[in-house]
Amino acid sequence: MSNSSETGNRWLLGIVVILVVALFGAICLGAAAVFMLTQAGSPAAPALGATAAPGRTSVVPTRAPATSGKKVLRLPGGSGGGGDPPTLDPALAGDAESAVYVAEIFSGLVTLDPNLKVQPDIAEKWDISEDRKTLTFYLRKEVKFQDGRPVTAQDFKYTIERAANPATASPTADTYLGDIVGVKDKLNRKAAEVSGVQVIDDYTLKITIDQPKAYFLAKLTFPTAYVVDKNNVERGGRTWTDRPNGTGPFKLKEYVRSQRIVLAKNENYYLEPKPQVDEVQFILGGGSFMTLYENGDLDSTRVFISDIERVSDPSSPLNKELFVGPELSTQFVVFNTRKPPFDDPKVRQAFALAIDRQKVVDVVFQKMPLVANSILPPGMPGYTEPGGKPPYDLAKAKQLLAESKYAGKLPDITWTTVGAGGAAAQDIQAMTAMIKDALGVNISIQQTDWATFIGQLNDPSRNPYQIFDIGWIADYADPQNFVEILFRTGSTQNWSAYSNPEADKILDQAGLEKDTATRFKLYQQVEQMILADFPVMPLTYSRQYWLTKPYVKGMIYPPMIIPRLKYVSLEK
Amino acid sequence: MAAFVIRRLVWLPILLFFVSVITFALGLYGPGDPVQVMLGMHANPETIERLRHEYGFDQPFYIQYLNYVANALQGNFGYSLVKYRDQPVGVLIAEKLPATIQLNLVAILLGCAIGVPLGLVAGLKRDTWLDLVVRGIVVAGISFPIIFLNPVLTFIFSRRHEFTLAATNFTFSIGPFLPMVQGHWDGLFSPKIILPAFIESLGVIAVLTRQMRAGMIEVLSEDYIRTARAKGLRERVVVVRHAMRNALIPIATILGLMLGGLVAGSFLVENWFDVPGVGQLAFDALISRDYYVIMALTLLIAVAYILANLFVDVLYGFLDPRIRQS
Repeated sequence: MSNSSETGNRWLLGIVVILVVALFGAICLGAAAVFMLTQAGSPAAPALGATAAPGRTSVVPTRAPATSGKKVLRLPGGSGGGGDPPTLDPALAGDAESAVYVAEIFSGLVTLDPNLKVQPDIAEKWDISEDRKTLTFYLRKEVKFQDGRPVTAQDFKYTIERAANPATASPTADTYLGDIVGVKDKLNRKAAEVSGVQVIDDYTLKITIDQPKAYFLAKLTFPTAYVVDKNNVERGGRTWTDRPNGTGPFKLKEYVRSQRIVLAKNENYYLEPKPQVDEVQFILGGGSFMTLYENGDLDSTRVFISDIERVSDPSSPLNKELFVGPELSTQFVVFNTRKPPFDDPKVRQAFALAIDRQKVVDVVFQKMPLVANSILPPGMPGYTEPGGKPPYDLAKAKQLLAESKYAGKLPDITWTTVGAGGAAAQDIQAMTAMIKDALGVNISIQQTDWATFIGQLNDPSRNPYQIFDIGWIADYADPQNFVEILFRTGSTQNWSAYSNPEADKILDQAGLEKDTATRFKLYQQVEQMILADFPVMPLTYSRQYWLTKPYVKGMIYPPMIIPRLKYVSLEK
Repeated sequence: MAAFVIRRLVWLPILLFFVSVITFALGLYGPGDPVQVMLGMHANPETIERLRHEYGFDQPFYIQYLNYVANALQGNFGYSLVKYRDQPVGVLIAEKLPATIQLNLVAILLGCAIGVPLGLVAGLKRDTWLDLVVRGIVVAGISFPIIFLNPVLTFIFSRRHEFTLAATNFTFSIGPFLPMVQGHWDGLFSPKIILPAFIESLGVIAVLTRQMRAGMIEVLSEDYIRTARAKGLRERVVVVRHAMRNALIPIATILGLMLGGLVAGSFLVENWFDVPGVGQLAFDALISRDYYVIMALTLLIAVAYILANLFVDVLYGFLDPRIRQS
């Protein structure tokens, strides 16, 4: 008996030993592989390493590059939250995360200065024709791609043709280049070439647009119009942006996905100021930038709401390193004017009056954003200080509800918001509670994920949501970007499905108006008309909070994506 | 045995077929689509239509599916549509897989090293204070949400702590004890792996401790243990040679299944600790409806689990003659 049990035990022992050996074998193999890879990635073996080719996207986990003697600025990735940019291709970059890098690596005909004024960039100057439909750009002759090839008007022609090529699948060509004659035809495969872009000579480019549009020049400051190198794009294939050849103040030195992006200064950069730091390292990921900053491993970091209390405290040493600036964005509570009961303006106004915005901002947001009382955010051209505080009047709210056609028979309301389950965002909970208390409305919160939410919103004629919250960030610094895009009849971004023929008429007039001051007045007039109808309730103007070490000079946090790193220097 | 293995392997493509059809259909017919996410708030119907056409999303389901399968069979698993536009999915996964495997390996090893002895002790000292303490630790370990442990442990171990002695100007600081990733993931032999791997291992510890404890209790009540004791064997021999060995069998099975999980990343740990692994990739792909990335990851994980299951079944055949004979 003891014999057979011994045999059984030996079997088991054997299996356990095999398992353990296999596990250790796997670990050793893995370890060996990692060791080899890290060796290969170190500067000693440049064939595979970070120093091999500029902009090499490396699969290999390389060691930290030596930074001795170099001026290196260390920042959190993207617009401060970390994460990979979806693309570095100017024709595809439609989001802020990508634009942060694209604006440094590439450049275009015109650019925005830190005050968001349109300034010459690769184009030294331009003429605008009598009918204001033709713009002639004169390019600087000294501009070169980062590989040394001079930039000519043909390159811009290629850039626009490429962005308008349906095969490029540009998500932004419509919006930013669609005013150019022929771009829409090419996008829809009705034309082989964009007729509105003509090369006069190597350094002269003529662009014709479909109607006079004062804001067109501002659209050209967006990445879609940044010049790309045909050789670079065509030889690089689908992943050509792994080694981009741009014209901007910085070039891509290294990109290790989900880990870091390193930009190095472009020695050939043509504008003043020239970049002053040698390298900018962006840390991707983004678990705990505050800790990195406090440990001295980051030179600047964005502050999110979890740390607001700490950094806002005047007795905190961090408070001296704090910067608070506008973001050119407004958060709205949107009433779907096609859905009962919000087809009645009185119900909309009643809901808006029942929400104490100041309290939401003070308590829930810890005063991080500002209370909004207009559609255009402060800092936006055409913004005027609204007279008085945002209205909050419970008695009037009740009265309006009683006067509305839904008096006494108000349907149940569902507030839709972006969220990942669990408790909804606190501001939404607070606002629904205020409405419930003040008006006795039966209101519930429904959370949905962003992909579903945006899919429904992008079709305003069928949007099923009754009431929801969303923000809008300026694409270009012109009031048209808010007032017309968000509220014109039939606009895709008209989330409230608001329609006011009179406002539409004034918007038409504004689009044709030559004089900027008059034009802005027209937009302000429309803004007042909209606010009186309550298709939305402006909730907050977002603000950005950054901490920056005292030795970092010249750092700016513009509310829009512009090339900004060339202004920065390090004094340590 | 060979016939058994072959029979099981024949099932592999069939299972993969079902997994892929279901995932593909969920992606296609579920709410939200990658073109909408790509366009974000700047969508207009024309652009949506145009891009859907460019990507072939306007074609019938079976054509899209067959195209996908045809490409996949040639090793082309498509391109990222949203989060890493135009990067081949194969390249993305190959880049992210090493970090996830490294993290999970260390987590499993830590789990074994901590869980097995804990369970052994708890089982031997059943219903004593020691057992209670171990069980308490295990329950606490899995009850603390990862989302809570992440910042707390980071705060304690990865931050510089400054202290000023009261009434003096003397300031001193300690830490950080463990470095953070900071854009440079250094693999297995770096202290950067310790915190994330420890948090990942909590689940493993819980499972192994409970299994080991239950196994010990069960085995210790078997007749052959009584016999061994009756023969006058020393207690140490009884426990180590007769009881522990048998209690380890189910542990081997659990570990075998965990091998399948090596390639599955963790959303919470990887995102917080900046581990450039599959969990980050999967999270980004899911929220942005990056179809092809989701498809490839689902298939990869399915294959890994199917193979791990097969491995465990074969192992059982060795361990249990009754299965081998049938």
